[in-house]
Amino acid sequence: MSRYDYLASRFATSLAVTVGVSVVSYGLLFLTPGDPAEIILSQQLGRQPSAAEIEAFRAENGLNDPIPVQYLDWLLDVCRGDFGTSYYSDTPVSTLIAEALPVTLELALAAMLVTLAISIPAGVVSAVSRGSPIDYASQLGALLGVSMPNFWLAYLLILVFPLTLGVFPVAGAGSVGHLVLPAITLGTGMAAVVTRLVRSSMLEVLDEAYVDTARSKGLRERIVVYKHALRNALVPVVTVLGLQLGALLNGAVVVEIIFQRPGLGTLLVDAVFERNYPVVQGVTLVTAVVFVATNLVVDLTYRYLDPRVRLGGETA
Amino acid sequence: MAGSRRRLLAGIAGSGFACLAGCATGNTDDETAFTVGLASDPTDTSRYDNWGGMAPYWTRVIEPLVWGTDDMQPKPWLATDWTATDDTTWVFELREGVPFHNGEELTADDVVHTFEENILTERGDFVYGWLHLEPGSVTKRDEYTVAFETTDPFPGFPGTIAHNMIDIQPPAADRQAGEIIGTGPFTLEEIRRGQYVRVERFADYWGGEPNPTELTFRAAEDETTRTDLLESGEVDLIYTPAKSRLSSLRDRDDVRIASQQSTGATSVWLNVHREPTDDVSLRRALNHAVSQTELVETVLEGVGEPARGPISTVVDWVDEDELPTYERDRDAARDLVDRSAYDGTELTCLVDADMDDGKLIGQVLQSAFDEIGVDIDLAVLERASINDRTERGEFHLQVGSTGSNSPGADYLMWENFHTMGIENKDLYEAEGTGLYNLGGEVDDHIETGYQARDPATKRDAYLEAQRTIMDAAVVVPLFYQAYVVAADAAIEGLELHPIDAFAEWSNLTRTADTNE
Repeated sequence: MSRYDYLASRFATSLAVTVGVSVVSYGLLFLTPGDPAEIILSQQLGRQPSAAEIEAFRAENGLNDPIPVQYLDWLLDVCRGDFGTSYYSDTPVSTLIAEALPVTLELALAAMLVTLAISIPAGVVSAVSRGSPIDYASQLGALLGVSMPNFWLAYLLILVFPLTLGVFPVAGAGSVGHLVLPAITLGTGMAAVVTRLVRSSMLEVLDEAYVDTARSKGLRERIVVYKHALRNALVPVVTVLGLQLGALLNGAVVVEIIFQRPGLGTLLVDAVFERNYPVVQGVTLVTAVVFVATNLVVDLTYRYLDPRVRLGGETA
Repeated sequence: MAGSRRRLLAGIAGSGFACLAGCATGNTDDETAFTVGLASDPTDTSRYDNWGGMAPYWTRVIEPLVWGTDDMQPKPWLATDWTATDDTTWVFELREGVPFHNGEELTADDVVHTFEENILTERGDFVYGWLHLEPGSVTKRDEYTVAFETTDPFPGFPGTIAHNMIDIQPPAADRQAGEIIGTGPFTLEEIRRGQYVRVERFADYWGGEPNPTELTFRAAEDETTRTDLLESGEVDLIYTPAKSRLSSLRDRDDVRIASQQSTGATSVWLNVHREPTDDVSLRRALNHAVSQTELVETVLEGVGEPARGPISTVVDWVDEDELPTYERDRDAARDLVDRSAYDGTELTCLVDADMDDGKLIGQVLQSAFDEIGVDIDLAVLERASINDRTERGEFHLQVGSTGSNSPGADYLMWENFHTMGIENKDLYEAEGTGLYNLGGEVDDHIETGYQARDPATKRDAYLEAQRTIMDAAVVVPLFYQAYVVAADAAIEGLELHPIDAFAEWSNLTRTADTNE
């Protein structure tokens, strides 16, 4: 398979996955109990809406059409770049997403930085000092990181930094300072996973013949570890990081709520509870696209990071 | 060389951290600026679309014609007086010399524009039933007089329009673009979506220049975070601190706790049209099983008042001393269960997952009912599922609350207990049943109270209806709600109101000595 065939195939698969996600999420929405007309009107009115009000709302928003018709209408609109408007207001879904996505993206990227800052040194040191107290401490730290619930760590960080030390804001968004605690909260759990991966990958690489060759050439151990071993050990880590970045987009809900960050996760959860179908569909689609695109980029990057890898029948 | 590079990097990292930490707390040194932490997002576009994403509640940028007194009576505000000239016509006299934030004076034209365009036309059908007005029903009599023609006799009209959402703005305001021009003591300065609304003092306010130069209303929906914001000094005052932290906050010298009974009341609502809760003996037994005092003291940490009726006692026509009472008496309750049609089947009790302490309250009730031999299945569901089950009448009990955001609280009786009230109407029309409606004389009393212009007549009629409702044990009253505000002890001048969004900020001051 040529490079272009491979690219075309991956794009086609990604498109199919995205459409599949939208079909499944649309179907699931209609399986959940609760009529959006009733929920939204009762919130807007502060009382139970009448049957006539519910019927008017359903007619206005096309909710009386068969589900496949509603889905196709939505899909055609999306193809024209129209994600629809929120049932609650006249605000376009694209506007809501455009406001929330950067907030979540900056948190995801900051969390990724925290992950890398913790996991790479910890994983490398742990592998290099295999069986030593440092290694056990690193593994214990990773175990703690994986086991610790996000919300607990978030409250702990708030207790230590703003409440005890008087540094960093408790909650909010808009400055780098506001990003620190949420990023540490979100990045720590992921760092625990990646640390273990870096460690095992490093251990594997450190046993390779070319590492022995580098050492036998008289290179300093730091050069051997960081220039020769780590570079190759990071290849599988990149794949996992790509997947984790996608997961962070939706996984940040708890952190967003605790730190009062108006991101994509909060938008989606609120919309699900409100049965605000256009917003749910819009956010789901965007998240799916970002997730799929990230994976595509990771796959393509992987191909270039490791020259031994030749996909689709190409061999080194 | 390597050592110096490491030192340089460490220095940069340290400086960066110090900068981040130092610039992060964002506290203002302005003694006349205050920040309020709210339990809901004051910038919620989906709910506050008509105000450009600014909550009409709390912010005091915009004002209605009528306000509410502490005992939930209509109070002159932008209107100084009102008269019912016949069954369906209300004439309101406007306060003269009231400036909008753009410098123009409030006149009858602004009131007509607001009601006809902003409220009746833009917000659509639902307003008609709420305000009993239709498009074309608001007319100017003269520069400072406006007449309202209600669709039917509606004595509760002045109290009903005493609501933050029934605000008056001039035609010049481009509301949906966020250009809010009100008459309130504060002007809108900034909305940061999902974060805060910032308002500034309006020096020409008709009620006198307010003390605070600036107020910021921050979204802080998580109660623990909200409490942390207060403790860290990022906000000066919060609504509803975390219950688990109340006792420690009360112990602190630098925090002041205030609580205020609200218009809300929480009860177990019993479906009187479904077996076996259609049996009055079983319903009375459930009432005898519960200790409201114990519930308030334990689950609610003392925040709230034990209830004897379904509607908060801050509403002027409620007098709980006149209602039948059910003390906790497990023996009496078991006897009543034995005499009832209850055959030991599991009863479904719906609990809204979003309700504060809802699950815990449900568990306490489950245990209390178990003590008298009544088996309860707790269904803790999200709002949509609750609505779904409620509209089909597929439940026996429901833990729920009712309250009002305006002094016009008549609808609490009508919508909940009248056969044609919104809770009961659909099932009554479809099956001849309903949920909490006894029909007959209760409907008659509610109709009398709803149409009464004389307060004594209204009170007597509603009291009769409530007596019958409690005698038939349609609800198990649990508690009258209260809300708690925790504030920096240096702050003085906060005036709370039974309607939490009616809080008065104009007299806020900060004493210098306790702010060190």
